[in-house]
Amino acid sequence: MKVLRTIFLILLGLYFFVPLLAMARFAFQSVPVVLLTPEKLLEGWSISGLIEVFGNPEFQRATIVSLQLMVLAIVLTLVLLLPLAALVEIRAPQLRTLMTAITLLPWVVPPVALVVGVAATFRNTVPWFLASPYSLVPFYVLWALPFSYRALDAGLRSIGARTLYEAARVMGASTFTIIVRVLVPNMIGAIIAASVLTAALVLGEFAFAALLLKETLPTFMAEFQRSEPRAGMALALAVMLLTALIIGIGVRALRKRGMDLQAAGV
Amino acid sequence: MAKVIMSGIRKEFGSTVALSDFTLEIESGELVCLLGPSGCGKTTALRILAGFEKADAGTVTVGGEDITYVPTPKRNFGMVFQEYSLFPNMTGRENVEFALKLRKAGSAERKDTIDRLLEVTGLTPHADKFPHQMSGGQRQRVALARALASNPRVLLLDEPLSALDAKVRDSLREEIRRVQREIGVTTLFVTHDQHEALAIADRVGVMSHGRLEQIDPPRALYEQPDSAFVAGFVGTVNRIPAQVDGDRWRVLNRSVSASQTVDGATLAAIRPEQIAVDVDAAGDDTVREVVFLGPLTRLTVDHGGSTLIADVLTSEFGGATMGDRVRVRLRDDVDAIVLIEG
Repeated sequence: MKVLRTIFLILLGLYFFVPLLAMARFAFQSVPVVLLTPEKLLEGWSISGLIEVFGNPEFQRATIVSLQLMVLAIVLTLVLLLPLAALVEIRAPQLRTLMTAITLLPWVVPPVALVVGVAATFRNTVPWFLASPYSLVPFYVLWALPFSYRALDAGLRSIGARTLYEAARVMGASTFTIIVRVLVPNMIGAIIAASVLTAALVLGEFAFAALLLKETLPTFMAEFQRSEPRAGMALALAVMLLTALIIGIGVRALRKRGMDLQAAGV
Repeated sequence: MAKVIMSGIRKEFGSTVALSDFTLEIESGELVCLLGPSGCGKTTALRILAGFEKADAGTVTVGGEDITYVPTPKRNFGMVFQEYSLFPNMTGRENVEFALKLRKAGSAERKDTIDRLLEVTGLTPHADKFPHQMSGGQRQRVALARALASNPRVLLLDEPLSALDAKVRDSLREEIRRVQREIGVTTLFVTHDQHEALAIADRVGVMSHGRLEQIDPPRALYEQPDSAFVAGFVGTVNRIPAQVDGDRWRVLNRSVSASQTVDGATLAAIRPEQIAVDVDAAGDDTVREVVFLGPLTRLTVDHGGSTLIADVLTSEFGGATMGDRVRVRLRDDVDAIVLIEG
């Protein structure tokens, strides 16, 4: 049994590692592609291509836009969803099943349909809205909804929000005081989880941005890869690392508070 | 002082009637327990008093003031919940202080009140721990201190001991009683545990199907149950057929008077401790089970086809074992019985 398990783990490791290694060699070894043989594994590694991309003003613009979108999407998610999830949990727990279903809807409607529908509505009424790159924020909030809502909902449930709410009510606290002083400080884990998930989705989202003709990090990367395949691959790996880093920081922040992502509902 | 009157309360959840024509009075400073099986409406009654649920009909007054439509935060009540309800991000002291801050108490007053309450509940050494560093009993004591912090008109206790283990439960129960007497706060305690209710309450109200079946001091409730339900729910009871014997009744071959009777009732409610068991090889009854409970021994006896439960003093008991022949009778000191149903 133990042998089988070891073999299985090795195969699984190779399944993930080999493509990553291939990507890394393609991106960072300045050796012509046809000569990327096993013998030349250690030759000509360099990150100069990547550094060159970092200096590209178009890249910098796209990155700044993406980071802004990320922050705005997280803020809007928390401002809208936290009170909503809290109210459902406390005042109308029977609606929880319905909310879970509703929050899944954005993933049932394909981005194309969503964008076409929204664009048709806004183009005639508030054309400036679609012109701004920030018009992506509401889409991203919706897109992250299945994950962010669940994380917050699980957080509320794990702290027994209903009892805490009622206890504070008897003491004379207003609903606003309860959310700010009692619920938020106790569900930092869930808030971090919801934020990290939203961030990861925003940094990787391509369809909405491409359909609305916005230049974000993913649309820039798709474009860039066509003209500079190897530097493009380097950039893709770097973004992958960055996203993993963000999730890692999130997990660490949770661990410090004695939680893991599971407890935060992920 | 705050006397609580809930009168004519009705509450439905969908098609379920949780409370119907529920009326309860709690005297100022009194501790009343609502006791009943789950789903009997006791928790709904408490939640209506707290203001968490709105009654469909009826009124609630406290100290003569109608509070039926007063929102929870303005009622100035204190409450301890079954689940741990301390705010996890605050220490024990901060939890108590939070309640005081909400009532706009000054900082000097806050410190005095907190120190006094921590002292009363014996929490002073644990005051600066966070809830997750405390035992269940400590948490509920902080919850009690927090509930009393704002000098509430009414204290509500919603099964506060149910989550604790047996030993802590007993000691905390005594402590709640002591603190409640000391402070003299009008208190409603909801529980499904009859021992808890009988041990702690001035009066116990037994509920069933959304109604208050009977409310009396613990001893009266135990000795003079109004109905078969109360007799069966509070303590253990044997239902033994009784025959008319002039103006008296014949039960287990003894003629006794009926201290209480329901029209047409012919079943006597006999407590296990009212039955004596004599070891007798010529007896008609058979021991089915013997359970040693320390000072008492509980016997299950087959008596003419029905099963009787008898609690006898271990020191007086002849030491029968399973299958032995015995004779059951009413104890000599029993001279009045309660008739409960036909």
